[in-house]
Amino acid sequence: MTRPRPDLRDASTVVDASDGRDGASFRDPSGFVFWRDGRPYRQVQHAFAAEWDAFSASDLKRRLVDRRLLIPDEPADIGLAAAPGAHAVVRPERIDFVSYPFEWTFGELREAALVTLDLQLEAMADGWSLKDASAYNIQFQGARPILVDSLSFERLEDGAPWFAYRQFCEHFLAPLALVARVDVRLSDLLRVHLDGVPLDLAGRLLPRRSWLSFGLLSHLHLHARAQVRHAANLDDGRSARQARLPRARLEGLIRNLRSTIAGLDWDPAGTEWADYAEHTSYGERATAHKDRVVDGLLREAPGSRVWDLGANTGRFSRIAAEAGRTVVALDIDPAAAERHFRSIRAEGRTDILPLVVDIANPSPPLGWAGTERRGLLERADADAILALALVHHLAIGQGVPLPMILDLFADLGPSAIVEFVPKDDPMVRRLLSTRRDVYPDYSLEGFRAAASTRFEILREAAIEDSPRVLFLLRRR
Amino acid sequence: MQEAQNVTPFLAYIDPGSGSLIIQAAIAAAIAVPVFLRSQIARAFRALRRSNGTQPSGGDDATAT
Repeated sequence: MTRPRPDLRDASTVVDASDGRDGASFRDPSGFVFWRDGRPYRQVQHAFAAEWDAFSASDLKRRLVDRRLLIPDEPADIGLAAAPGAHAVVRPERIDFVSYPFEWTFGELREAALVTLDLQLEAMADGWSLKDASAYNIQFQGARPILVDSLSFERLEDGAPWFAYRQFCEHFLAPLALVARVDVRLSDLLRVHLDGVPLDLAGRLLPRRSWLSFGLLSHLHLHARAQVRHAANLDDGRSARQARLPRARLEGLIRNLRSTIAGLDWDPAGTEWADYAEHTSYGERATAHKDRVVDGLLREAPGSRVWDLGANTGRFSRIAAEAGRTVVALDIDPAAAERHFRSIRAEGRTDILPLVVDIANPSPPLGWAGTERRGLLERADADAILALALVHHLAIGQGVPLPMILDLFADLGPSAIVEFVPKDDPMVRRLLSTRRDVYPDYSLEGFRAAASTRFEILREAAIEDSPRVLFLLRRR
Repeated sequence: MQEAQNVTPFLAYIDPGSGSLIIQAAIAAAIAVPVFLRSQIARAFRALRRSNGTQPSGGDDATAT
């Protein structure tokens, strides 16, 4: 069972082919992103020269960049162009960690939706419009959403409808409505429907009551009907292209869409882990000691990026951030991650990014050629991983043998801070109360043996007042 | 022909969807109706107050909705 050990850090920066073109940047003929020496560049094509030059010089762009709603960029040498037809090359600021809408919490998806509409309203006021409204054009810096596609702006033609209306409703409105009105697990639909949840599908899943909301009735239900009615009819296509509405009306439409989105809410409670942090089994003294030990081990682990696996509501992500690290905080539970996001947002932090990810079933490579949306493991760039109160869930809850768990940790980062919770801990006893104990290797000795195959054990610290042990590991 | 090209710039590379374009005008009109009604009601109220000899309360009721 030897596995190749690719250097994942390189794979996370440079994507795909010989010209360094980003695997997700090929649909818009206006330009594309490519990578050189681990840095992103954007090439703008001649076809888009007039719009680009006007937008680049506009007050709108300056304002949006100043307010951190649009990614800043600086001019770069056009000789760097990765393909023929270049009008300009710029170097955008790099995003720390690229995340995808199907990994976001409800609140993150809603913030991304609201910022997209705010950008559209602000653009319209200056005679511009977003020509696309893909959720993938938004990225997060901590709790702050930002538009990363500076090629999205085109001049608004008077009387034209919003061309990205459909895309916006499918990428944002439909999944948000499904979570708010039906079930949070329906956000998984975004992982299958990369170009957004089809409106007719959302319409069938939503309760009848949703027809009583003007916003959902119009932007979703009637919108879905209109799509079906006018689908694949060439004449309709022609008349659609002549559809007109005054600019003030269009603005009213966008504002109404915005208040519809803002009115969708989800209470992050009632899922398996939502109250976990409050219901942990050990006392105050153990908790305080664990905080101190984790802090100490973090300061010993080198590097700046931490992945907190099973982050729950973020107690230890925060300790890592306070120790000067940037943190990607992964948790399987959408409610815990949502609470985490809300607390980070309330503080305006930009150093922690909570995401909903099942580490036992990480996001796979998706989209065209499997390179358009990269798998979670391809994006692994951690200097250290935190895996606290996690191993027993993977080993006993999911039935993954300890060596395989440590193998994954080693693939994710060169250092790891891992907590081992032995069988006499109340949490593990609870896990074992409903199953046969078929885990003879699940012991402190077994853990040390498993860890030693991929790691060197640098430190071992017992948590006071508890049978738990923390390890600091360094990859061999 | 020129007109048609202006309406749909070729750089609009995503499919806007016929139904999605057509429905926007209808929804926008529906949204505009209550706004229009509110402004008319406000205007009627102001007229009423004036005819009763009271001063209008100041501010712009029509746009304050």
